[in-house]
Amino acid sequence: MGAVRVAVLIPMAVALLCGYGARAAPQSASADGDWTMPSKDYAATRYSTLAGINAQNAGSLHPVWTFSTGVLGGHEGQPLVVGDTMYVVTPWPNVLYAFDLTREGYPLRWKYRPEVSANALGVACCDSVNRGAFFADGKIIYNLLDGHTVAVDARTGREIWKTQIADVGNGETATMAPLVVHDRVIVGAAGGEFGIYGWVKGLELSTGRIVWSARNMGPDAEMSVRGETFKPPYEHGADLGKESWGNDSWRTGGAPVWGWMSYDPQLDLIYYGTGNPSPYNAEQRPGDNKWSTSVLARHPGDGTLVWAYQFTPHDNWDYDATGAMVLADLTIGGQSVKALVHFDKNGFAYTLDRATGRVLVAQPFTAVNWAESVDLTNGRPVLNPAKQTGASRGNTKDICPSLEGGVSPASPPAYSPRTHLFYTSTSNMCMDYAARPAKHLKGVPFVGVNAPYSAGPGGYLGSFMAWDAATGKKVWENKEPFPNWSGALVTAGDVVFYGTLDGWFHSADARTGRVLSKFKVGSGVIGNPMTYRGPDGRQYVAVYAGFGGDWALIAGDTRSDDPADIRAPIDPVKDIARYTSQGGIVWIFGL
Amino acid sequence: MIAPLSASGCRGRFWRLLWTAPLLAGVLLSCGQPHPSNNEAASAAPPAAAYEAHVVAGDVPPPGGSLRNPHNGDAGVARGGAMLFNAMNCDGCHGTDGTGWVGPNLGDGRWRYGGSDAEVFNSIYYGRPHGMPAFGGTLGIEGVWTLVTYLRSLTPPPNVPTESWQN
Repeated sequence: MGAVRVAVLIPMAVALLCGYGARAAPQSASADGDWTMPSKDYAATRYSTLAGINAQNAGSLHPVWTFSTGVLGGHEGQPLVVGDTMYVVTPWPNVLYAFDLTREGYPLRWKYRPEVSANALGVACCDSVNRGAFFADGKIIYNLLDGHTVAVDARTGREIWKTQIADVGNGETATMAPLVVHDRVIVGAAGGEFGIYGWVKGLELSTGRIVWSARNMGPDAEMSVRGETFKPPYEHGADLGKESWGNDSWRTGGAPVWGWMSYDPQLDLIYYGTGNPSPYNAEQRPGDNKWSTSVLARHPGDGTLVWAYQFTPHDNWDYDATGAMVLADLTIGGQSVKALVHFDKNGFAYTLDRATGRVLVAQPFTAVNWAESVDLTNGRPVLNPAKQTGASRGNTKDICPSLEGGVSPASPPAYSPRTHLFYTSTSNMCMDYAARPAKHLKGVPFVGVNAPYSAGPGGYLGSFMAWDAATGKKVWENKEPFPNWSGALVTAGDVVFYGTLDGWFHSADARTGRVLSKFKVGSGVIGNPMTYRGPDGRQYVAVYAGFGGDWALIAGDTRSDDPADIRAPIDPVKDIARYTSQGGIVWIFGL
Repeated sequence: MIAPLSASGCRGRFWRLLWTAPLLAGVLLSCGQPHPSNNEAASAAPPAAAYEAHVVAGDVPPPGGSLRNPHNGDAGVARGGAMLFNAMNCDGCHGTDGTGWVGPNLGDGRWRYGGSDAEVFNSIYYGRPHGMPAFGGTLGIEGVWTLVTYLRSLTPPPNVPTESWQN
């Protein structure tokens, strides 16, 4: 133990002496005890090389510390740990806490409480969530719900810059975690339910100045398509992002950015998914509606679009593609492939070639009936004509998955290079979908649907599973009574961690799924577990408990037998109030 | 302040929207008619300072006008309000039939800013903190009363205080 401790402490001491000066370069091995970016690394693996907690000892995991954030909104996202400080961002009003991990009880070093307009609450589609911060260049960088990005000095808590990136008056809010690459801070806005004209922006890391801005649809010139550099894998032609929208509907077509971003340093490409096209009545926007419900690959320096692939052309089920794009080198059919793996709301798990965007594997990971399969020759889904929607079709019944998705994009997966498996929460629900015409009115929702949910096949509402993305097959699955809404964490100890909507926090054997420990954390888990090495050299695991997000409707004081509380669309989870209610608690577990 | 609000109530963007929603036009025919006099103790038009029910310090209520719904209990107007509720995208936040989504349930009898005609009118007309947009400029006075009439027609389910999972 002694030698291990010394080996651990020396790099930490160096880090302390040098301050937090390092930029967001790929991490060295000595930094592996930290968690400096939302998804742990640029590849968005949520994999930690820490192995102090393993399948043999995880049974004795227990809480070592808790903290109430004082906020009751849905707690998505995850803490950061840099050196001996833990950083926590709350839902609106987006307080940033910095905890001193070297002192008993982890007292605050400082607290940063920005001014965030309450008006933003009315244009945040699905609770007042925040998906976390990014540490780079000595700064903690995150988004405020009212459409600002802030950079705060990681040591002092003083605001370094604050930039307005989005317009609340136009239905835009900022819930995603930024991605920092070299001297760019990449951010986007939510608002797929408000008819925004979706975009991403690149800010200067040192000043917050907006360097570039690129739309997710519209004319090539507005999408940062520059000459011949844009090569989508299956389409050709100019202005695809404009010509695939009838009635000029791209102008209010949504395609928001509120999920996760990843980065490949060799290809110099960032990857992110776009949300649903607006409105939900697809007949108002004839065509494929590119590049909504798509993955886009851009150069971070100037935003140049390199390729894009659309998972759900002409989305008419609200199948946002904002879930994580996990980068992994896989062996597929005996060949080594630089892959991008994505679990989509539409129920298919996709394995793409991340250099070109071509689909290599696409298989359903949950109940799917809107499409039969994905045609690998053209990348398009083979549609089930009985499950298409639109105002003229009336009420289309029993569509799977529901518009909550086969997995929530807010619940990112993890990938272990040791097991070669991906780990993800799932949601097993279906829906009816009655669309009707919607009128665009700036600053208010642009939706036009009534879509009640129902339980999916099999008598359970969600699960946590392991997935082989090289073959497109499920390896193991732990079924849950409620939709599972937690992100995943996997470690070199071959342990996976996840929470449940009814408030359990689990560790499980990464190879078999056998649950190793469980603890009731006081509120449903919709956040993402992370792990770090503490100043004492020991491994810890942290997670938020804070029921809400898409479930805010029933997160308060509800009665399962009161039709005012338990009503469509969320009535399949009617008795969850017996097990949990809203909260806002940071939990840390150790051995 | 009162007269300009009343005068503009029927000529705002709402009327342009109605051209694309002819079904709704019928419910608002009364918008062309003169409003009740503002000299009345209770008016359909918003006074410069409306008084809402709160605890009154020292038992001395502040001076201020009060509002009266000209369509109180009119089932036909309520049906028009239900269509207006969807046409103005109210359901996008408050859910189908006002049962709640990111915005609160409007049919459960639990009101954040009061459930009287006047309080609901003010919530819609002027908006509220924490995200409720101000619809007065778009809908006008008559449009807002139409929505109020619809919302007041929703019947809250009975409130049973105890829920038990014991046998």
